[in-house]
Amino acid sequence: MDMEDPRPGGEFAGACANVSSLKLANGLNVLVWSDHNIPNIALYNIVRVGSRNEGAGTSGLAHFFEHMMFNGTTRRAAGEFDRLMEAQGVSNNAYTSQDVTVYQDWLPRAALEMVLELESDRIANLAFDPEVIENERKVVYSERRLRVEDSNAALLEEQVQASAFIAHPYRIPTIGWPADIQSWTLADLQRFYRTYYAPNNCTLLLVGDVEAEEAFALAQKYFEPIPARESAPPVLTLEPVQRGERRLVLERAGLNPLLQYAYHAIAAADTREPALNILQTILLGGDASRLHRALVEERALAVAIGGGWPEGFDPNIFSIHATLPEGGDLDALESALDGELARVLRDGVTELELRRAKNLIAAEFWRGVSTIDGKARLLGEYAVMHGDHRLLFAAPGLYEQVSRAQVEQVAREVFNPERRTVGVLRPLSEAA
Amino acid sequence: MKIPAHRRHTLANGTRLILLPRHEVPLIAFEAVMRGGARLDSPSRAGLAAVSAALLTRGAAGRDAHAFAEAVEGAGGSLEADAHSEAIALHGQFLARDRELMLELLSDGLQRPRFEASELDIVCTRRIEFIKAAKDSEPQSLIGLYGRALLFADHPFGKPVGGSESSLACLTRADVLGFYRDHIGADRLTLVFAGDFDPDWMLEAVTAAFGSWGVARELLSPLSAPPRVQGRNVLLIDAPDSTQTYFWIGNTGVARSYPQRAALEITNTAFGGSFGSMLMQALRVKSGLTYSVSSNFRRGTVPADFAINSFTRAESTGEALDLALNTLSTLKREGAGERSLASARNYILGQYPLGFETAADWASALAELDLYELPESYIDEFAHSLHSVDAAASQRVVENAYPDAADVEIVLIGDAARIRADAARLGPVREKSLAAPDFYAPAA
Repeated sequence: MDMEDPRPGGEFAGACANVSSLKLANGLNVLVWSDHNIPNIALYNIVRVGSRNEGAGTSGLAHFFEHMMFNGTTRRAAGEFDRLMEAQGVSNNAYTSQDVTVYQDWLPRAALEMVLELESDRIANLAFDPEVIENERKVVYSERRLRVEDSNAALLEEQVQASAFIAHPYRIPTIGWPADIQSWTLADLQRFYRTYYAPNNCTLLLVGDVEAEEAFALAQKYFEPIPARESAPPVLTLEPVQRGERRLVLERAGLNPLLQYAYHAIAAADTREPALNILQTILLGGDASRLHRALVEERALAVAIGGGWPEGFDPNIFSIHATLPEGGDLDALESALDGELARVLRDGVTELELRRAKNLIAAEFWRGVSTIDGKARLLGEYAVMHGDHRLLFAAPGLYEQVSRAQVEQVAREVFNPERRTVGVLRPLSEAA
Repeated sequence: MKIPAHRRHTLANGTRLILLPRHEVPLIAFEAVMRGGARLDSPSRAGLAAVSAALLTRGAAGRDAHAFAEAVEGAGGSLEADAHSEAIALHGQFLARDRELMLELLSDGLQRPRFEASELDIVCTRRIEFIKAAKDSEPQSLIGLYGRALLFADHPFGKPVGGSESSLACLTRADVLGFYRDHIGADRLTLVFAGDFDPDWMLEAVTAAFGSWGVARELLSPLSAPPRVQGRNVLLIDAPDSTQTYFWIGNTGVARSYPQRAALEITNTAFGGSFGSMLMQALRVKSGLTYSVSSNFRRGTVPADFAINSFTRAESTGEALDLALNTLSTLKREGAGERSLASARNYILGQYPLGFETAADWASALAELDLYELPESYIDEFAHSLHSVDAAASQRVVENAYPDAADVEIVLIGDAARIRADAARLGPVREKSLAAPDFYAPAA
């Protein structure tokens, strides 16, 4: 097979010339990537607030707030936002992570001005109607039941996350603890809005059928009048080094045992990031990956194995999670998984595995930049999580340069049994 | 939105080839569609087409399953096989420089699969476990399988495409070899390539790789249209301790060839296909009963199911179901309203180009036209046809595509002890345990 890399970093790096950036007087960072393939634009507004910014009693607030951002402003009634958008051919969505809250619109280019006006309105003038808040509280609780409470896999993940961190707010589930969902007050929401929803805490990305000058002029028209606010309080807590493995066992009605390992890892901006992603792909990316092959295909101890790590502002966990067949042997899987990880530390990875991972990641980059949405997502990740959007265009080259030694080094640093949390879910049969 | 320039060829053995070159990124996307699919499974062998499809990429010619996966992933490519009611499809993408490898793997998978017994065992065992795991962690993903089994009964659309725990456990290597012999061959195949390649090179290479392949033994029989049901039946799937109830309300809908497609898409966007839709407004925005609700038409060569899908906490099961059924009645009685229809039209128009952005999007769109024998105007004229839809056209669709709220099959997955009374108010109830190893409704 041809091992030459035909996807020169240079070709990708050239695309950087199509991205323009502007910082408005109020601190809003605006990025524009012109792409005229289809007559549409993807808009992302990334607010630097997530469950990482929460504490006792306020868990889930960032996510709840994401819902409230669709529920009306002092100028527009609840429902108007979506009604106006849909009537102009615009779809929208939003999501909240541990680190950020992201608002997304996919629009025909003719709707650009209206969309920027609506987006600026909800950053400047959000309304807090007590009745709307109570209704939305029920919706969020329904989302929690769907995503977590009726899901053994999600319940285990939530418990492992909460056990892996004792100090850092990454222990908080983004959807929120049930009691907190029931108890936030209007005052909590207003304080949250004033603290985090400031132009100087946002990054606005426009990718697609628009020129930078036009986008900047509209951003200035609608966003620049919004005053900057005092910087949000930084999250200073650092998770202390874990001293000894933690374990938890859940017993729940169900059929399939589940196993999750969570190792303390690194932050997105860490220089070891490409090496850790290559390691992840070697171990877990695809049917030919090492752990899938050994544990699912060859030894059939698990029916599925996956994992990864959230790339955040602070070091988060690298998880490996496995689903066992009904009646599967958790101890045997654990011991085989430990053996495979020990083998990585002892014997390292092969040149062929490294090449496969690099090719998969390179193809993923190309698939990512083949849509305006993928471009916006990647650009946003680098602009916010890595601190500079230009790093996106350097990334393919950086991945290409990663050596086996660097992959093995990051494996030794991450796969430390003393710094892991092991979660197990043992199903209780209905008859028990 | 118009289909970009492309070429069509038919090889002597009947294989159809569609080539659409695009050079923005150095990728080639493909769809290899084998007409037939899961509708050909016998009722006791549900999942046979899907399992046969999966095995095409688990060992072929000189490569065993691992070597095949290594060849695909080693090149950073993707090659997935799956089945739906009317076809088996292989699809994926490779970097343009790996086009020869791509064709070799595709042609080996289709023409020289090994069908090793050990791989069959792995695939079936794993699929059975995935169904069980879905019962533990995402029961809503199974509700349509129960719904279609109830609605379509003995019609081929009633079988679970991926099989059930019980049917998968019975599949043998002889079943797979028989399916391959009867239903996989050059005359059933359409190959679509879109992306960074030279069409002359591709035509020559595909002819060399597929030109001498033989045909499937059986001729594809036509599919009969399933009837609409009258009256109501309720299937209650008992999931003890479930904190919420998942529900599915359905009846037979319309086919791909439905002539009022533009009016249908506008009407359904306004009824249950957008955030501003009637269902979303009623069940989420105004009442907080759910996080999500939608309505959807699955359209095949013949009509498949129309269904409303949602969920709510166990205590509000009756209230949410009443509201969903009342919203359907409102649609039948009053239509969606001029303003909603205008908004839905603009919404579809604005979003339409986003479905045709990449080479993979075009490969998939052209494969779909070919499978359902739709003209190119299905894409090229769609935007134009949206403009001619008025309230009267929408009303005709409401009358002939949507069921009356009194004529629907209803599936509930939830804690039967808590919701049995709510179910009984809706119609005659049959019960089944979520743990049961198949999706069929028990006899009434």
